[in-house]
Amino acid sequence: MITWRFYFEMMQHQQRFIYLSLLVVSLLFSCKPKSSVQNQAKPKIVHLTYWCASNQNEINLAQKLVEKWNRDHPKIQVTLQPIPASQSSEEVLLAAIAGKTTPDICSNMWPGAMDDFISSGGLVQLDQFPDFYEYMRQRLPNDLLETFRAPDGHYYQIPWKTNPVMMMYNKRMFRQCGVLHPPRTYSEYLQAARLVTKDRDGDGHIDQWMGYRDIRPVWWQRFFDYYCFYIAASGGKTLLNGSEIIFDNEASVRVFRFFQELYLNGFYPKTTFQGDNFLAGNLATQFCGPWNVIHVEKFKKPDFEYDIAPIPVPDDYQGPTYTYGDHKNISIFSTTRYPQAAWEFAKYLITPQSDLKLLEICSQIPLRKNLTGDPLFQDYFCKNPMLEKFAEQALFTRGVDGSSVLKEIFDGISQEYEACAVYGKRTPEEAVKNATNRAQVIMEWNQP
Amino acid sequence: MIKKLRYRFKSSDTIGFWMVLPYVIYFFLFIGFPLVFSFILIFHRWNIVTPMQWIGLRNFYRLFHDVQFFLSLKNTLIFLLINIPLQIALALLLAVLLNQRIRLRGFFRAVFFLPVIVSGVVITILWQQLYAYETGLLNLLLMKIGITKIPWLNDPDWAMPSIAIMATWKNVGLYIVLFLVGLQGIPRYLYEAAEIDGAKPVQQFFHITLPALNNTMVLVVVLSTIGGFSLFIEPFVMTGGGPMNSTLSAMLYIYNQAFYFGHMGYAATLGFFFAFIVLLVVLIQRKVVERKD
Amino acid sequence: MKKVIIYLLLIISGLIFSYPFLWMISATFKPEVEIGTIGLWSSNFTLRSYSAVFQKIPIGRALLNSIFVASCVTLSVILFGSIVGYALSRLRFFGRDFIFGVILFTMVIPFQITLIPMYILMVKLGWVDSYLSLIVPGMISAFGILLFRQFFRDIPQDLIDAAKIDGCTDFGILFRIIYPLSKPVIVTVGLISFMSSWNDVLWPLIVIRLQKLMTMPQMVTIFAVGGQAESQLGAQLAAATLLAIPIVLLYAFFQRYFIESMTTTGLKN
Repeated sequence: MITWRFYFEMMQHQQRFIYLSLLVVSLLFSCKPKSSVQNQAKPKIVHLTYWCASNQNEINLAQKLVEKWNRDHPKIQVTLQPIPASQSSEEVLLAAIAGKTTPDICSNMWPGAMDDFISSGGLVQLDQFPDFYEYMRQRLPNDLLETFRAPDGHYYQIPWKTNPVMMMYNKRMFRQCGVLHPPRTYSEYLQAARLVTKDRDGDGHIDQWMGYRDIRPVWWQRFFDYYCFYIAASGGKTLLNGSEIIFDNEASVRVFRFFQELYLNGFYPKTTFQGDNFLAGNLATQFCGPWNVIHVEKFKKPDFEYDIAPIPVPDDYQGPTYTYGDHKNISIFSTTRYPQAAWEFAKYLITPQSDLKLLEICSQIPLRKNLTGDPLFQDYFCKNPMLEKFAEQALFTRGVDGSSVLKEIFDGISQEYEACAVYGKRTPEEAVKNATNRAQVIMEWNQP
Repeated sequence: MIKKLRYRFKSSDTIGFWMVLPYVIYFFLFIGFPLVFSFILIFHRWNIVTPMQWIGLRNFYRLFHDVQFFLSLKNTLIFLLINIPLQIALALLLAVLLNQRIRLRGFFRAVFFLPVIVSGVVITILWQQLYAYETGLLNLLLMKIGITKIPWLNDPDWAMPSIAIMATWKNVGLYIVLFLVGLQGIPRYLYEAAEIDGAKPVQQFFHITLPALNNTMVLVVVLSTIGGFSLFIEPFVMTGGGPMNSTLSAMLYIYNQAFYFGHMGYAATLGFFFAFIVLLVVLIQRKVVERKD
Repeated sequence: MKKVIIYLLLIISGLIFSYPFLWMISATFKPEVEIGTIGLWSSNFTLRSYSAVFQKIPIGRALLNSIFVASCVTLSVILFGSIVGYALSRLRFFGRDFIFGVILFTMVIPFQITLIPMYILMVKLGWVDSYLSLIVPGMISAFGILLFRQFFRDIPQDLIDAAKIDGCTDFGILFRIIYPLSKPVIVTVGLISFMSSWNDVLWPLIVIRLQKLMTMPQMVTIFAVGGQAESQLGAQLAAATLLAIPIVLLYAFFQRYFIESMTTTGLKN
């Protein structure tokens, strides 16, 4: 839960130093003796190294799972190691690939960094295992599975878990302002915003808003406004299709126009806030993942009422509402000497029982069909109704495209978002055009 | 005797070589190698971790289509266009004042020079507070005299001028001192002769002082241009390049390309191109300013 | 009348240049809510801003780092600058004029070209996150060499010849005969290199990531930008004040040298 926020915060502060740290990391790893020496001495027992995310909940989960596995499989012994926490996982993994010191299997693979991992030859093709498709289709709807396919047509990641971004709203505030049901479309949202945004204490300054977003053009901030809205408005599209740019469309323009109207009318403030203004009761809505439920539950005042709803969509949109989901997946590294054993272990990590443990220990949503209908999970969702809404949304999520210039494309969108939505200096059409032009140049530059 | 001389010359030859050797090593390691390597990088895409990829002239293709880079160049030029004239006018005025027969000249000179020696980081943090919209000293003063508040750093049109004003404040002391040196080199009798001819102080300034300061002027223009082109820490600390990229300087953009996005090859290309522009501008300036003579 | 106007203008501009500093210092002793006031005086004197800085960042360590790095750079620039400057001005050897030309040429290379490859060189040498990356690239300065060369050229040859007849080596001449005569140029070169090393932020930001190796300006920058200050204005200003103090103290003692040195930097270019 904390991972996400921690990870993003770290990015914000430390991103500029990422590349500086890569070397340090690679040096660290290059000094380590290779585990394979040990393996040759005792050929009967297979040893696997498994890296999990470094936050405490996920370490606890992984410890439980590994203990059980090692008991049941004396011939395949797994050693658990959390990814070193001082950098982001992506840096550590890239450095490890460069230094050929990768583990056998890792469960903290961010799809956005896949391209780098694949092109550096660090990952094992998973569709080479004969039961791959069968096993995956039991777990996932086909269209969602397709979104994890690499540009070369193969699979390098096992979809594991997700954190869907949804709308959290202040129930009491809506009720008091005459908003009867959570807004489903843009015009309902704007209508609600008109009712909600006001000056409560009459000092001439607005002190209650519909929502708030950080106005600085930091690329990953777009996950919580433009990107999740774009995925919703386009019916589940991402920015890229292979090397083709596909966000140059009406959905993007509508999202930009929507946010422009929010800022233009003052429904979103342009200042910088300290502290959590949603919890303080100054904001009607915010867009967040399931981790925030835990945060709100922990710090809310006794009379604070909130609920979860899908991301608003354009008025004429039909069909299920998609959203952005922060996926973390499982991959097997090409340094492994026992791909089959690693595959068996990977399959074990995503069994229903393991998924239940993931929910219970980490409160994260496994990517699995019929999660809320399955009796195995029913007990859990009865106790955690908010998470059930996220679980229902989980199958209608899209991640990010696995491109090594993704960050820069998001950066370009952020610049245009700032100019168009926040400052109103550009029309939505121009803004989308500019962002796609920039992305186009970057993609052409980045061709192999 | 001749033998002795020759011996001395020869020993001088070797000892001289040994004495400059540190520089030669330093040159190859920290100037020669980076220059050559920078040239190699121009044709590559590289994030340091994965192997270098040869991409021909694609870095240049990207450069010439990079709207943000040209915006950053434009921003840097805007900075220079505000900073240099303001700085010269202010420095000249204060230098002329200090050049009069007055008491406490050393004290005033020391005060004006204080911002020059203090780190840019200090100045930037300080001015960020002075510029704050609600609680900043400047806006409080403006409110006192009945002018509306100015969104110094929060408005795309105001942000770069604000940074330029701050930079002027920081550096003007150095140029005051340079102009003072120039002013003291002007012979007194020129003014005395002009006074006899009945020239007013303003006429004296334009007909004697300014022409005599031409060398200093060239120097000041070139120095502040080079300084202005390396504008980095001010926007880095104060605005991060925003709002709306209006304070994104070329150096900040290059820094971001290298250390935020990890595009070493592209950043090197930008650096090369930018250095070329700096040299070009400085050469043109010298021609223009010197010709006025 | 004319005098009055001159003094008036000077006093106003003097205030413009000094008041912000005074305001900054007074703000660091005010409670957070009173920072947004024009005046300097506050009856609620507090040291909370400073204790916040010392709690959140190891700024004492950063101060020592900065002093260490800047001193090493300064000593080295003086040592190598004078040796090379001596060779270039007083000795004849093959390639001397060529080397002199090279040094002049290096002064016009903009640092924008060499910045990225220099960083990569540091990575390859394994000097990232070590003092070496802060010190070694600054150990020799073309500017220092030129100033020494200029100054040494004006030293009378008789002095050197006399020393040579006494059996002095070239190093002996440099350190025993020339150094005592060269105080002004040594101070100038020393102050300039100390200042530029002390005030440099861009390079430390690039090559240092470990907090315990950060220089003081770098740490204060990261403190202000990176969010550790949690937008506590007082703490940010206190950190800035701490960063300013050493140089201002130095300036108070060597004021005349400072101004002259900085002027030479300008004039010699």
